[in-house]
Amino acid sequence: MATKSPMRSSGPFRFLSEPRAALAAALAHWARARQGDDTPPLTLQARRIYILPTGAGVAAAALLFVMLLAGMNYNNSLALLLCFMLCGVTLVSMHECHGMLSGLKLLRAEADDSYAGRLGELQLCFENPHSRARSALQLRAGGCLPGRFQLPPAATQLVRLKYQAGARGRQRIERLELSSTAPLGLFRAWTWLHLPLEAIVYPAPGGTRPLPVRSGDPRQGERRSRVGGEEEWAGLRPLQESDSPRSVAWKVYARGGPLLVAQYDAPAGMHRLLAFASLQSLPLEQRLSQLAQWVLDCERLGDTYRLDLPQQALPVGHGIAQQRACLEALALYGT
Amino acid sequence: MNARAAIAVESPPLPANSLWLLLGGFLGAVLLNAHHTALWCLPLALLAIAWRARGLRAPLRLPARFLRIGVALLLTLAVLASFHTLNGIDAGSSLLVAMATLKLSETSRRRDWLIILAAALFLLLAACLDGQALWRLPLYAAELWLLCTASYALGTDFEVARTATLLRRSGLSLAAALPFALLLFFFVPRLPGSFWVLPQRHEAFTGLGDEMSPGSISQLTQSGDAALRVRFDAAPPPAAERYWRGPVLHVFDGYTWRRQHAQVDRVPRLQFQGQAYSYAITLEPNQHNVLIALELPRGLPDELPNTFATFDYQLIAPAPSERAVSYRLQSYPQHRSLDPLSPAARRLDLQLPPNRNPRSAELAASLRQQAGSDVGLVDAVLEYLRRGGFTYTLEPPLLNLDSVDDLLFRTRAGFCGHYASAFVALMRAGGVPARVVTGYLGGSWNRYGGYLYITQADAHAWAEVWLEAQGWVRVDPTAVVAPGRLTQGLDELLPGAGGNGRGLMSSSWVVNAVQAWQGLNAWWQDEFIGFSFARQLALLERLGFRQHDLRAFALLLAASAGIWLALIAWGLRPRSRSPAGDGLSRSWRALERKLRRAAEPRAPHEGTMAYAERVGRARPELSSTLTALARRYARLRYGPAAGAAEFEQFQRAVRLLRVQPRRPRPH
Repeated sequence: MATKSPMRSSGPFRFLSEPRAALAAALAHWARARQGDDTPPLTLQARRIYILPTGAGVAAAALLFVMLLAGMNYNNSLALLLCFMLCGVTLVSMHECHGMLSGLKLLRAEADDSYAGRLGELQLCFENPHSRARSALQLRAGGCLPGRFQLPPAATQLVRLKYQAGARGRQRIERLELSSTAPLGLFRAWTWLHLPLEAIVYPAPGGTRPLPVRSGDPRQGERRSRVGGEEEWAGLRPLQESDSPRSVAWKVYARGGPLLVAQYDAPAGMHRLLAFASLQSLPLEQRLSQLAQWVLDCERLGDTYRLDLPQQALPVGHGIAQQRACLEALALYGT
Repeated sequence: MNARAAIAVESPPLPANSLWLLLGGFLGAVLLNAHHTALWCLPLALLAIAWRARGLRAPLRLPARFLRIGVALLLTLAVLASFHTLNGIDAGSSLLVAMATLKLSETSRRRDWLIILAAALFLLLAACLDGQALWRLPLYAAELWLLCTASYALGTDFEVARTATLLRRSGLSLAAALPFALLLFFFVPRLPGSFWVLPQRHEAFTGLGDEMSPGSISQLTQSGDAALRVRFDAAPPPAAERYWRGPVLHVFDGYTWRRQHAQVDRVPRLQFQGQAYSYAITLEPNQHNVLIALELPRGLPDELPNTFATFDYQLIAPAPSERAVSYRLQSYPQHRSLDPLSPAARRLDLQLPPNRNPRSAELAASLRQQAGSDVGLVDAVLEYLRRGGFTYTLEPPLLNLDSVDDLLFRTRAGFCGHYASAFVALMRAGGVPARVVTGYLGGSWNRYGGYLYITQADAHAWAEVWLEAQGWVRVDPTAVVAPGRLTQGLDELLPGAGGNGRGLMSSSWVVNAVQAWQGLNAWWQDEFIGFSFARQLALLERLGFRQHDLRAFALLLAASAGIWLALIAWGLRPRSRSPAGDGLSRSWRALERKLRRAAEPRAPHEGTMAYAERVGRARPELSSTLTALARRYARLRYGPAAGAAEFEQFQRAVRLLRVQPRRPRPH
């Protein structure tokens, strides 16, 4: 499956079996057609902000109606004025609720990659350029844990939203919903964001097969390449973020020197070969899971490794870039 | 890892200040209703609120469900026992207090607290329905503000805002809502009639009653409560003609005078003479169904349907009024009866209990013999009262069952009721039909409001006698005992009477202040509380709508509400925040504005030093100055605390800087 949508597929008679879902889908379709796609940075205009009373708002309306009846029944001016004041406050709160979103800026939106079945992270950066605080903002997407935040006047906020990663492959976050029920909880204003958010979902790591043993690779035997390993002393280099603490030259550091990494040359080809072909007895998805598990294991052990997929062989390597390249290849395998 | 479980949202605890605000609001609502709910309501609610408030500090064990249901039933029964109904404001608000109190014992989630908020709002409504006096208005406003603040605090369940901020926000919101509320107040049609039947209330009002027993009163309490207010179209009648007619008493048992409810006769015709007075009366709630009128009214008030006149010229409303009513009348102090007295009415007004007040009967008979005529008897009795050593007092001795004898021959002291009673009894004993009329006499002129203000202390009783030549004639026996009573108020007549501090009232600024407050109250009562459908129609007419249909209301409402909504939207429009900062930032921004002519403006990510360097590269002649300024800025901003002199130097340097416009690039 190449692209996944949080919306379920819609049949022609869906409105009979699931009227609410069908209505929501129709609304979503209408809103998308009306608004078009969004690319940050963008400012939320009033015309794309929708507002409806909440359950509490409907209850409040009923309450106000009963108050009106009571005031009319007793023909009591003060009671009627009280009722009308409350109506006024309710309407003011409606405007305030709409104002929670209107004019808000979305500066940046990104989706981090994740493993199938786990929670991934979306990162959205909002800016409130105005003098009015925006409160009770809620950001939701299909299958996401809602993210709640607020924005003081003239402030910027990075919102992290956990999304539920589906099966491996590319996952699009079709639609985000930004809403607020502030200030009274009687109305809910919301807007739909159709952002180009795409995450790559890696296969869920798993499987019990032992890690392939380190071996030379006859095809690359003639050339020595410098890759991080622990075999032959090759000198010192500055510490990088991906280095394990075991490789730090602590003696140098103890003498007052900088944090350096002792670097060794691995004999070329002394790496683990993670081969798709070696897992023939497993079904496809389990094979990919096992390979993903091996990639992570190799990284944990600090070994160099090479991923071998049919029609796609990745070079020998080690480190974050290598891990990402391998996992991405696994995620997109066969697509 | 179960991913679905991770999606579940845990609701955070409610902000503490919202709960304090809400408890305070609920307490206020209960207190505002304390005077008319059942006696046990207030202590119950106070206990529950204190208990719940303690629970805000420490964890609380909520009572079991079956216990709560049992208590709910018990409380409902208690309300029933107190009021014998669940309908009406008193019973309804008692029940509301009881149930909300019970709800307090199970408040944990936001929804529970919202129910308490709704109950408090309804209690506020009940208080408004019950008491509309002007002095309560600030209390209601404060309570509304408190509840509104609590709803702002509760509105978003996961954010904590400072109470002061919340108070400000809700106050602004209320201020914005006020014009809208007034629009609705004026233009939402007041549909007449009740949607559901309201039970009558049984409360004792001071003032006139259905009966009068002067002998049973040892101290007439002076009540300054308003009885009625009268606004005359032209000049008010002279003081001696300000007799405000109320219930007429016919039936006497020797001690107590009572009303005659049956119509013994049709309404006799009257010939009205002399000066007519047109006026509007606002009558406060009272316990009888007689509409007070200046003697004697012509016609019936249009404002109150189903009103009728009786054979003794009382205006009767269908029921005693629970709230102030307003009506217009026209009265003629001069009038003559055109019809003869019917035998039934004559019998009624000659009735005396047998074997009671024997000495008075003897006195009446002897006076009758001396006088010869009915008119002569009236004069003789008045003369007797004038010369008999009678005194006027509000603290008369108690009388025995033969009250007239006791007054005339033993105590010789009393107030209007005593003398009216004695006079009518003597008249009847002398064979002249007579009756007691109760009502009010006089009234004080309120120059702030331009109306006559009549309090319960102005209550009065006088007599009417039937003289064949003139018909019914008013005789005020109190006037011969205490001539001043007619023209002066009681206060002047009885210095220090009642001893309830009325002596203070003589000070002129106090009088002024009291009158001003009364005037304000009258305005509130007339213009606001008394705002009615008829007044709405009049308002529409004044606004130019000739046809009184609902379309005019709808049009006005829609237009004005639309304008209001637009104004609110404009008031709440997003406003850019100007970059804040101190004088140093302002100074630096001034520098940047000047340099806009020289180079591209500073990018948001660009530091001040880098910016100065970049501009310096573009304009080498400024380079050294800019570097110096940027260094100085950094030093002032981040370095050790600098003196004011150094800052002023920086400002001056920025001001001195001259930047030539960019020259066009040579090709």
